Amino acid sequence: MRGSALGGRRPSGGPLDGRVPGGPGRPRSGLLRSRVLRVAAALGGAVFVLWAAATLTFFGLRLIPGDPAQAVLGGPGSQASAEALAAVRSEYGFDQPIWMQYLRYLGRLVTGDLGSSYSQRQSVASIIGSQIGGTLLLAVLALTVAWLLALGLAVWSTRGGRLAAAVGSGLEIVAAAVPHFWLATVLVLVFSTTLRWFPAVSTDGPAGLVLPVLTLALPLAGFLGQVMRESVLDALEAPFVLSARARGESEAGVRWRHVLRHGALPGIALSGWAFGWLISGAVVVETIFARPGLGRTLLNAVQLRDVPLVIGVVLVVAVGYVVMTLLTDVVSRIADPRLAASRPSRSSRPSSSRPASAEGVRA
Amino acid sequence: MPLRHRSLALSLAGLATASALLLAGCSADAGPSDTPATPVAGGTLTYATGFGEPTCLDPHVGGNMPQALVGTNVLESLFSQDETGAIVPWLAESGVAADDGLSWDVTLRDGIAFTDGTPMDAEAVKANVEHMKDPETASSTAILALGKVSSVDVVSPTVARFVLSEPDSALLESLAQTWLAMESPAGLERGMEANCEAPIGTGPFVFSEWVKQDHVTLTRNDDWTSAPAGATHEGPAYLDTIEWRFIPDPATRFAALQSGEVDAIDEMQPDNVVAATADGSGLDVLTGALPGASIRLELNSGYAPFDDELVRKAFIAAADVNPGIQSLFFGTVERSYSVLSSSTPFGASFEDDYAIDADKANQLLDEAGWMSRDSEGYRTKDGERLTVDFPVSTNQSIPAEVSLFEQIQATTKAVGFDVELHPMDLSSWYAALGSWDFDLTSAIYTKNSPDVLRILYDSENIIPAPSGYHPNNAHVSIPELDDAVTAAGQTTDPDERAALYEKAQELLADGAYVLPLYDHLQKIGYGDRVQGLSLLPTLQIPYFGDTWVSE
Repeated sequence: MRGSALGGRRPSGGPLDGRVPGGPGRPRSGLLRSRVLRVAAALGGAVFVLWAAATLTFFGLRLIPGDPAQAVLGGPGSQASAEALAAVRSEYGFDQPIWMQYLRYLGRLVTGDLGSSYSQRQSVASIIGSQIGGTLLLAVLALTVAWLLALGLAVWSTRGGRLAAAVGSGLEIVAAAVPHFWLATVLVLVFSTTLRWFPAVSTDGPAGLVLPVLTLALPLAGFLGQVMRESVLDALEAPFVLSARARGESEAGVRWRHVLRHGALPGIALSGWAFGWLISGAVVVETIFARPGLGRTLLNAVQLRDVPLVIGVVLVVAVGYVVMTLLTDVVSRIADPRLAASRPSRSSRPSSSRPASAEGVRA
Repeated sequence: MPLRHRSLALSLAGLATASALLLAGCSADAGPSDTPATPVAGGTLTYATGFGEPTCLDPHVGGNMPQALVGTNVLESLFSQDETGAIVPWLAESGVAADDGLSWDVTLRDGIAFTDGTPMDAEAVKANVEHMKDPETASSTAILALGKVSSVDVVSPTVARFVLSEPDSALLESLAQTWLAMESPAGLERGMEANCEAPIGTGPFVFSEWVKQDHVTLTRNDDWTSAPAGATHEGPAYLDTIEWRFIPDPATRFAALQSGEVDAIDEMQPDNVVAATADGSGLDVLTGALPGASIRLELNSGYAPFDDELVRKAFIAAADVNPGIQSLFFGTVERSYSVLSSSTPFGASFEDDYAIDADKANQLLDEAGWMSRDSEGYRTKDGERLTVDFPVSTNQSIPAEVSLFEQIQATTKAVGFDVELHPMDLSSWYAALGSWDFDLTSAIYTKNSPDVLRILYDSENIIPAPSGYHPNNAHVSIPELDDAVTAAGQTTDPDERAALYEKAQELLADGAYVLPLYDHLQKIGYGDRVQGLSLLPTLQIPYFGDTWVSE
């Protein structure tokens, strides 16, 4: 699909004409309009995702048995008096029809008020504020480590012959299939109980981050590695690599400048999804390694039917997901100028950084 | 029934022996090293709890085990208990009931102050009771325990009079629990939010920091003078600080203990207990049975199929518990034949009522009309299968216990029961119980008094609280039993109480309402740098007033 769109817009010229298409001859106002439309569509999509997350969570939590008034009065099984329950029901509006509660909740959300937690008696915003740092640090480190592992494995296993390829592919499949809780337990047993290299409880400094980050990063590296290696293998067989080699580029040059960029593209596209996946992994990892964070907050809040806190965390994660998706879009465009075809500012860039993949399409 | 009297006497004798051993174990040298060392002041002890993080550190609010655990070393109660369950003084010197049983005069020790300087006097007791009874406080445990207390009068600065609506023999036992601990009235006046963050007590330590989902820091109270009975020293605690951590995963908790990241942990799994008590592990385990009900299966007698006594008896005759307990718990727990835990006075044992007999079970089911079997071997009656719904709380039941339930499922299947285990989170589990949507359940109830029998089996407690909670899960409604537990709650004569509580337990055993499994054990693992750790008998909570750490 991309190929045909590009082909339609591409001015005629040889494969090495040195110009990325889309610049000259296109009216700027049209570009501006399409850009505004794209931003509006992205924003609209983001708002829709947030609304859907808030709505699904709100009604989902009501479907599970359990009384929110109990959550306010000290959790499930509370033996609260009738007066206390009645007071809580009217104070929090639990005695109103569910659609009224929903509208009131949406109304508060629109004004940026996440409400206050039933169980912790604090504003949801301040709870999230105090817990988000740890989780973001964990997710960013895990994503980085996963990328490094996946790239390293992809490059190594595609140049080391058939055995290396089989080993690489095997490692990736195993890593991708390993459940977080199992991996965490094994890592604790090996690196904490037996070798005593890293603490099992992740609270003290950088050493405490190693095992949680590895727990999250290894399966993700498996996923990323699988798609990247496929893509690298495709690129290695593509004619543009042949032509690069024919031009006399070194093997390292071919790999780093052409093949790797090609291999990384699907990985970048997956990173938005990976972020959401890392946050859900954080629920397990933060619980096992006793790390403060959003994942553990979410788990406790669900168990206590703390509706405002659950919705608050879900919304923050949804925002993170939307932001990450937009970011991967931007990064993809930088890595693959075919996608940036509509960007005038980049249209006159010289060809030195022109990616191999674009050549591949044309060839 | 002389035989049953004998078993009561035996169990009381056993209790006395056990407590003597416990006492010896606690007072001499609780540390794993054999050479008694001289206490060293200073240092930090790191404790990791698996009971979860409280949402509020003030145990008057709500009132659960996580609050009691962290609160016990900061907040003290009017009374304490010794190993036999007898009431001993703490912040109070004595409690004396009026002749009509409708009031108790509690005399307080003189000269004790809260850590903010507020005196611990009768006014403070009155303020605390009013705080616990105020619906705004959202108390559940304390408000129930004070159900018969209508008010507290200040007779003098050192005498507080508890005025009751009806006699309550369990009042002093109630007042001995951490959930009814005394807090500074000035602290209470700061409002719920501030008081939840750091309630102010009279104990050996002070709440000084709470980093949510991470730790609570307790620091030494240098002015502490109110050591409880049984403490090995007077005066300030040895430790400078206690770092109280929340580590929900049992494997991580034990790994942290093994690697020395933490000094002591609770909620140990059976295999960890075996590993920690092995020679050369550098670890040891302190064990105590939580008072109240034993871990038991309750048969919901209010609905089919367990509304039929024959079916209940068949289930109990078929449920072979012992092999499971031996294999799954590695010999770390003992089978119980009593509804009350071994640390609760007046527990009676009825081993004969729980004998395993598959033939008898089959015969009882035939008699009850569950004659035919379907293609899968389950019994049926009028085309309906003999299904038993068993919701299991994954928060409360440890993996070994869930495996035990699976073994009970397998042994009762042999005679035709279809036991369906439904794993649930705590809220869903409470909701299932609240709507009587179960045939079998295993629920925990901790209370330091045989009065727990009234809470769990008085027909009044079939009626749910406004929250839907009802303690009488077995749906027991026997007028004779109601009379026995009510009368036992009103008399202070020990012989009379013993006879009444035994009567109640006999009715439960004869009617096959409950299948006792084992004691709910508090298992504290600790490393060899920890010395002088003990459990306060009231709720078997670790007590750090005498603890020190050696290097």
